[in-house]
Amino acid sequence: MFTLGSVLDNELKSTVEDFSFETNFSTNQLMLPNIEKPFEFAQSIIGLEKDLQENENQLMFHQQKKEERKERALIKGYKGTTTLAFIYEKGTVIAVDSRATSGQYIASQSVQKVVPINSYMLGTLAGGAADCQFFLAHLGRICNLYELRNNETISVAAASKLLNNILYSYRNYGLSVGSMICGYDTRGPQLYYIDSDGSRLKNSLFSVGSGSPFAYGVLDAGYRWDLSKEEALDLGRRAICAATFKDSYSGGTIKVYHIDENGWVKISDDDASELWYEYEKKEKKEKK
Amino acid sequence: MDSLVGFVGKNYVLMAGDTNAGRSIMRLKDDFDKLVQVDSHKILAKSGEIGDGNQFCNLIIRNVSLYRINNETELTTKSVAHYTRRQLATAIRKNPYSVNLLLGGYDKKDQMGSLYYLDYLGSSKKINYGAHGYAALFVGSILDRFWKEDLDFEEGLELMKKCLREVEKRLIIGTRCFVIKMINSDGISVVEKVMINSEKKNEIEEEN
Repeated sequence: MFTLGSVLDNELKSTVEDFSFETNFSTNQLMLPNIEKPFEFAQSIIGLEKDLQENENQLMFHQQKKEERKERALIKGYKGTTTLAFIYEKGTVIAVDSRATSGQYIASQSVQKVVPINSYMLGTLAGGAADCQFFLAHLGRICNLYELRNNETISVAAASKLLNNILYSYRNYGLSVGSMICGYDTRGPQLYYIDSDGSRLKNSLFSVGSGSPFAYGVLDAGYRWDLSKEEALDLGRRAICAATFKDSYSGGTIKVYHIDENGWVKISDDDASELWYEYEKKEKKEKK
Repeated sequence: MDSLVGFVGKNYVLMAGDTNAGRSIMRLKDDFDKLVQVDSHKILAKSGEIGDGNQFCNLIIRNVSLYRINNETELTTKSVAHYTRRQLATAIRKNPYSVNLLLGGYDKKDQMGSLYYLDYLGSSKKINYGAHGYAALFVGSILDRFWKEDLDFEEGLELMKKCLREVEKRLIIGTRCFVIKMINSDGISVVEKVMINSEKKNEIEEEN
């Protein structure tokens, strides 16, 4: 991560020939326009110049601006969703809802909250949709490059660590990512929770989003390591169903995925509201 | 929210930390080890933000390993404490790490253990006993009252459990599960992974 000062200092010291297209691409430096005072120009774009002149204590000011930015970003980054994943004897189950909300308006009922990273790894989306989609797709690219360079499949631990390091370097920029990296590699089924504040946790079950407390209730009550495949898929589906019932920011359709040594497979895609009443009907029948 | 406790005894250092990892009101993981191994005879106990803690402790551990590889000699606890403090201090005005640390270590040269208290602001102090987090409020007075020089291992363990019992009893946030580690001349060992239940008349269940 370059600080603004150091990169611009390098540019100011370099000669005109150094601004050729090829050099800049390979050294990965900031490209500046060929004007008299590039530093001032850059600052005016970012908007710090005016305030810097007013405020004597630069450090205090930078800190304030950062906090303001963080606050503004935090207000927008509300994780209105429910996603869950857990590992068990035979693999990994992932279940998500598909509602996207902006405030109280339901923007979409058919959002893809599961992003494939490669044929045996999936990433879930919670928080800012744009942030998650971009970084998970980027992770997919990095994993692909790794596999081409090293001629072996990347482990889930390594993939999650790569994403963790990237998100950690952006930790004060107001990103909102609450993703789970789930997969099956040589160590068996694996599950990692990655956050935009830089945390990376490994566990056997996670649920992320506004509906996660509701999903945890059903999940914790029914989870065992030695579930059968049908029981596990049913548990995942029921947990999301319970969350969509209670949480207004979750709903739409319930998608369930399964990952085992053969890769990932989409199991089902059911409407959340219909599923709830189907379960009710089933229970009434069983009581009779 | 994180509780870390540590003190020095007769040729050993005893450290304990809770094993909760969470996000706002939710506990995401209840077996999260906050006492990371720096090298064969040093532990860095981290508290604060999970991401910062992970990345910063990784930084320290890898640099200590690099020093060992380059110079074929292990660093003393004092050196590691000073290095860690410097890293925290230089970062504070640019990209602060919000981690509070307890560094415990045993030096074969001096044949004694030492404990350092490090703050996210870049402060560092060699202490005989200390704590981070909410535990510090409850445990501080217990350690003032009952800690003395050259506690042997059984007395030390009993004192540690007294502290953890108090944390479980008085902290409204449920912190029942702790891990206790000891550093002595033989290295680092996990003493116990305790789950404290103060309702049961001061009985402590051991889970392993």
